[in-house]
Amino acid sequence: MSLDYVKFTPGFGKFMPKEYRDMVEHGPFGKKTSVSQVGTFKEILEEHPMCAGCAMTLFIRLAIIAFPNPEDTITVGTAGCGRLAISQAAIPFVYGNYGDQNGVASGLTRGLRLRFGDKPKDVVVMAGDGGMADIGFAQTLHSWFRKEKFTTIMLDNEVYGNTGGQESGMTNKNQVLKMAPLGKKFEKMDMLGMAKVAGCAYVATVVPNNPRRVESVIKKAVLVAREIGPSYIQAYTSCNIEYAIPTDKVMEDAKTVETDRYKFSEYITDEAKEYLSQLYGYKEYLPKPAAAVEKK
Amino acid sequence: MYLVANIDTEICAATSCKLCTQYCPEANTILYDNAAGEDKGFKYGAAYVAVDRCKGCAQCVWVCDNMAKHNAIKMEMIDQIGDTALTENVTYGEKTSTAILANPVRGQM
Ligand SMILES: Cc1ncc(C[n+]2csc(CCOP(=O)(O)OP(=O)(O)O)c2C)c(N)n1
Ligand code: SF4
Ligand code: SF4
Ligand code: SF4
Repeated sequence: MSLDYVKFTPGFGKFMPKEYRDMVEHGPFGKKTSVSQVGTFKEILEEHPMCAGCAMTLFIRLAIIAFPNPEDTITVGTAGCGRLAISQAAIPFVYGNYGDQNGVASGLTRGLRLRFGDKPKDVVVMAGDGGMADIGFAQTLHSWFRKEKFTTIMLDNEVYGNTGGQESGMTNKNQVLKMAPLGKKFEKMDMLGMAKVAGCAYVATVVPNNPRRVESVIKKAVLVAREIGPSYIQAYTSCNIEYAIPTDKVMEDAKTVETDRYKFSEYITDEAKEYLSQLYGYKEYLPKPAAAVEKK
Repeated sequence: MYLVANIDTEICAATSCKLCTQYCPEANTILYDNAAGEDKGFKYGAAYVAVDRCKGCAQCVWVCDNMAKHNAIKMEMIDQIGDTALTENVTYGEKTSTAILANPVRGQM
């Protein structure tokens, strides 16, 4: 894991596939690239078998573009739709057994710190709502209570998409699904509340119909996890198959859901604010000047 | 045959808003050529689609019609589209990319 791992062995470059050469020569490794520049550089994510028009795909694409140091990042995932794409990026991907992702990421993060000391190596978990809030619930919560320093991202499509439409803890009450024909009997779980109680230093909700906001929260979450503590992002990433959303209406749905019940929210501890403003120049978190406070 | 997205260079180059590029769910699919439309006096380039990666979801059409309000993208049958961009003909440069257009349906040149 370093800038060197993407380079060609001398003399072998010309035998490599075009996509690989483009990625080494015109990819984002070691550079500052942003969502607003997409289309002008080769993205790390390659082709994958996720469904056409899937919002989760778009979110994963944006998240990978947003990683502050892609060459020093490892992703961790598990069973579910997202891993079909996350594993097709030129970033080392570790597959945890279903629900084990935050346990695997805990060990990995600690190991990387032993091996590389203070040199930042970012670990980012991306998994579905079923894998995170149901099957992996205990491991997710415990990693937060233990203050493990990595980022957890829930790809919340409010259903078990990969296995054909069972309800998850994150499905809304009364929602009827293919494998929940009577409708769900209880409320959507408050994972955001639990993340705060368990001690996450940065918690945000986001919807991919605002790509630059996705970029911004991912960057902050990864940076906070480097030094301050666990960070959690919950992203609404609709399943157009199980929720029967026509693919050209996926962003319309995202907009509606964002307005109705998935508003952007951000929680950040004072310690994380100070760290982001001091080390990474986030002006929004600078302490308010005393004069402005007095004016009130 | 199947549908892929096709961007009208002239309509796009008139505004160059770069919205659809950020909303396509597929990576490396809607690309951006800073020099597109230069011959017609446009300054900021235009987006184009590497059709071999396009899954035909039409999300870009919704974004261009409803968010950008430019109506520059249409879904077209791959065998009717004429010469277009394909990944193998794309060259990346300093903060831009260009494609030599070719017939996307092999064997029917
Ligand atoms: C231990 C174990 N149990 C069950 C499964 C079967 N399985 C694969 S994907 C999946 C559901 C995934 O749902 P979710 O985590 O919400 O992700 P999504 O596919 O919706 O993104 C299940 C139950 C498995 N792979 N491993
Ligand atoms: S099943 Fe749903 S979540 Fe999974 S790839 Fe398809 S649309 Fe996306
Ligand atoms: S949204 Fe439309 S006008 Fe804007 S860059 Fe895309 S094709 Fe061009
Ligand atoms: S139709 Fe879908 S996959 Fe094809 S270019 Fe448009 S947004 Fe991308």
